[in-house]
Amino acid sequence: MTSRRVAIGVAILAIAAAPWLLGTPYWRGILVLGAMNVLLALSLNLVIGYTGQLNLGQSAFFGIGAYVSTILIKTYGWNFWLAGLAAVLAAGLLGLALAAFAVRLRGHYLAIASLGFAVITYQVLLNWEDVTEGVRGIYGILPPVPSTAGLFYVVAGIALAVYLLLDNLIRSPIGDTLRAIREDEVSAASLGINRAVWKAFAFGLGAAIAGLAGVFYPGFVGTLVPDAFGIIESFTMMAMVIVGGMGTMIGPVIGAIVLTFLPELLRGFGELRLMIYGLALMLVVLFMPGGMVQAWNALRRRMS
Amino acid sequence: MKNALKPVVVALACTAAAAGAPFAAQAQDKVIRVGVLMPISGPGSYFGVMGKEGIELALERVAKTDLNGHRLQVQFEDSACSPLQATNTVKRILEQFRPHIVIGEECSDASLAIAPILEQAKVVQLNAGSVTMKLTESGYKYVFRIFPNAEQQSLPLAKVAYEKLGARTAVILHEKTNAGNDNADGFEKPFVKLGGKVLAKIDFGRDVNDFTAIATRIASLGKVDVLPTFALEGQQVRLSQALAQARVVKGGGGNAVQMGSIWLPWGYDQKAGPASIGYVRIVQFDPTEKRNIVQDFIKAFKAKYGADKTPTHINAHAYDTILLVAEAVRRGAKDSESIREQFSKLKNFEVTTGRITFDRKGQNSDLSVVHFVETQKDFSWKGMSWR
Amino acid sequence: MPDLLALVVQQSINGIYLGCLYVMVALGLTLIYGVLNQINFAHADFVTVGAFTAFFTATRFATKVLGLPDTGGYLLSLVAALGAGALLGLAVNAAVFAPLRRRGTDELRPLIATIGVSVLIENGQLALFGPIPYQFDSPLARETLRVGRIFVSAQSLLVMAVSVAAIAALYAFMRFTFIGKALRAVAQDRETAGLMGINPNLVIALTIVIASALAGMAGALLGPVVVLTPFTGATLIVKAFAIVIIGGFGNMEGTIMAGLLVGVIEAFTVQYLGSGLIDLVVFAMLLTMLVVRPTGLIAERKEENV
Repeated sequence: MTSRRVAIGVAILAIAAAPWLLGTPYWRGILVLGAMNVLLALSLNLVIGYTGQLNLGQSAFFGIGAYVSTILIKTYGWNFWLAGLAAVLAAGLLGLALAAFAVRLRGHYLAIASLGFAVITYQVLLNWEDVTEGVRGIYGILPPVPSTAGLFYVVAGIALAVYLLLDNLIRSPIGDTLRAIREDEVSAASLGINRAVWKAFAFGLGAAIAGLAGVFYPGFVGTLVPDAFGIIESFTMMAMVIVGGMGTMIGPVIGAIVLTFLPELLRGFGELRLMIYGLALMLVVLFMPGGMVQAWNALRRRMS
Repeated sequence: MKNALKPVVVALACTAAAAGAPFAAQAQDKVIRVGVLMPISGPGSYFGVMGKEGIELALERVAKTDLNGHRLQVQFEDSACSPLQATNTVKRILEQFRPHIVIGEECSDASLAIAPILEQAKVVQLNAGSVTMKLTESGYKYVFRIFPNAEQQSLPLAKVAYEKLGARTAVILHEKTNAGNDNADGFEKPFVKLGGKVLAKIDFGRDVNDFTAIATRIASLGKVDVLPTFALEGQQVRLSQALAQARVVKGGGGNAVQMGSIWLPWGYDQKAGPASIGYVRIVQFDPTEKRNIVQDFIKAFKAKYGADKTPTHINAHAYDTILLVAEAVRRGAKDSESIREQFSKLKNFEVTTGRITFDRKGQNSDLSVVHFVETQKDFSWKGMSWR
Repeated sequence: MPDLLALVVQQSINGIYLGCLYVMVALGLTLIYGVLNQINFAHADFVTVGAFTAFFTATRFATKVLGLPDTGGYLLSLVAALGAGALLGLAVNAAVFAPLRRRGTDELRPLIATIGVSVLIENGQLALFGPIPYQFDSPLARETLRVGRIFVSAQSLLVMAVSVAAIAALYAFMRFTFIGKALRAVAQDRETAGLMGINPNLVIALTIVIASALAGMAGALLGPVVVLTPFTGATLIVKAFAIVIIGGFGNMEGTIMAGLLVGVIEAFTVQYLGSGLIDLVVFAMLLTMLVVRPTGLIAERKEENV
């Protein structure tokens, strides 16, 4: 227990210090992005890593969070936090809708269904121009906190809170239930686990968290266009979870941070950047399927 | 051991010397730092690759001229046509490179995303690729654009369609992007105001490969006089071919006249084949133009990039941005404020894409070079004297 | 021919052509899934590689080096594209599928690995060929066949003809040859097939090679009718997946039916609803199908969906 408290303390210190260690607007911006990605990776990991549901459509909930909150603020004059809450609820509800598919489908079928879900959501955002402005985009969106460092504190703080929430969840009997569903659904059913309810729970909560990340996105960029929420986003989130270490709590956090900073550090490579990215993805999956967490554990074992 | 160390020492010494060299050079010349935000990765690289070609050629040529004791230093950043990337890279370049001027971006969303940031940083934004009206209608003082905006492109099309071609019905085809939408609206409003009727406004994503279904739909709409289309060359070739197959357009035995804006480069007509015959469009960069600056540019372009490559308007516009910066420096600009001043004062400055005079909003309002052409049976352009 | 009838016939033909286009891409995908139980996300990029191979063979190699006439050059390019696809399939199998298979039957990781392959291929092609669309003209590119008011381009006819031929050939192969039967055996039950003397790894490798060769050839056929850039694969892959699911994973007949269905629905969506809504309609169809009949149009395999 105490080592956990120490870890939390270290995390809080790291969050507090980060905007000062990386003190320029550009790097602080990347920190904000990193915090958002941590939220996204945690949300996806809940569904894929702990509940074993193949979800390729997480970008849909990210997008709903962004659009619902922005539209409520810009068109209806809502307050940022209320709009954010409504957006999170909307994303969660949509997650329940996807869960309805998860109840009936497994494996690759669910994967493609979730992909289809993401495509449909993207198409709605794109085509319902009266409401979302579609490709024209929404401009002049203000962040809830004027300074970038402040925004980082807010998002990172929320990410930490979500992490602790999920961590407690996973350690509780709920976590066991989800893991049972992941390992063997049929056996889980025979143990009396109501898979439908728990899948709905996982998808709904995962979607809500992704929506939460989405709430902060438009204010950070200042501009909102549907293109930010295509299926490429889903794959990026997936990559973060896998590279970090799927099915662990700290894995997605590491994966999110690495895959946020790596592209920025690779900028010097120009055109090779994305090729390196694809290659890295392949190599991690092939040689380090447990991600960086697995590599770290293997390293520790070798040293002890 | 000593033998092994020697090459290392030499290498270190060379590196130190090389690292010191720019500082030595900087002590002599004064540097104008030009940041360039272009989409270099992803599908948007269609614009970025050509933009980079134009800028790099211009830098070579401008370096041989007198720049008031200054030299231009350029840094490219990949903004990938996305507001997020553009926002990140503009902040990065502002911090790490501290440019006096930023050229960018190509895609309207990205250009709009960086405008407020550059405005706040008081750094000039020179745009040579975006169409959206919002860029120059939002009151930014540091934004300058040499690319014709949506209204400048589409209004002449609407007028010529109604007045010179006698068109009364139109079907507008456009890609589903900010630029496509703006151009389409820019045609529809004046055309309807003149008394024309828009039978349909058909949009399509950039990932559509086949247009036979769309062409068939248009064929079922009845008498169509003009077909203004706003798509990039790859899709436009397929679109024209499908329209010709469906016997909708003149190039295929139909009646409708395809119309377009400056989007299509030289070479489109040859690629589309007979389907492009009778295509009426406005061009700004015309490789057949006799002006020296144009022909010099084409010769230099072919010398650098290959004799079979004709520059496109994207190459030309990017090339012109460097000419503009160089001219501002020649006239005494040495930082962002003075660049901005010089740009505001520019009158009739000649570039490959015409002449530059910026209006109060930062938009180049000199369209004297823009002219209509019609594709002939041998795929050459016949200049039309409409205005 | 009355107007409405002509319109319906024309859009139906357009739709069937589109469907054949999608089927050419989706067929290999479903083949790999049937035998390997794995999704190859890079499959549509194999198609693009095939298209570029065909392009360069036809325009540079065949005509300039070998001095072949246009038609000969195009045929040669088809063969070259087939070969390129096969090689690519072999490489990806050796590098990705086989090693992952040795480690267990995880579903997610091979999918992610193929996403990495897809990114690698797309950006590799971008570095090699650049982003500007290539003009790939087959000898039939400008010809149009007309019957009354109905038209169809010659290249489209070629696509339709070859896809029918490919489907028939594949069908015969699977039903009547020894290797085909071995393939089906491995698809049904890998262990038992192994016990019966079939080398599953060899059969799987062969399947991937055939599927990828198909993809390559599809590229050669589609090159003249699509917008050819390194990103062409990305424009086709997701719809290909939708078709594979709608038709029933691993089921060839289903894939064909689904492909044609999607193509025709797309054509009529463009006519009556607007081309911006194509993806929406197709994927709504997909999700409906998954709710109503998850095993696909033709349920051949019993999947543990429950």
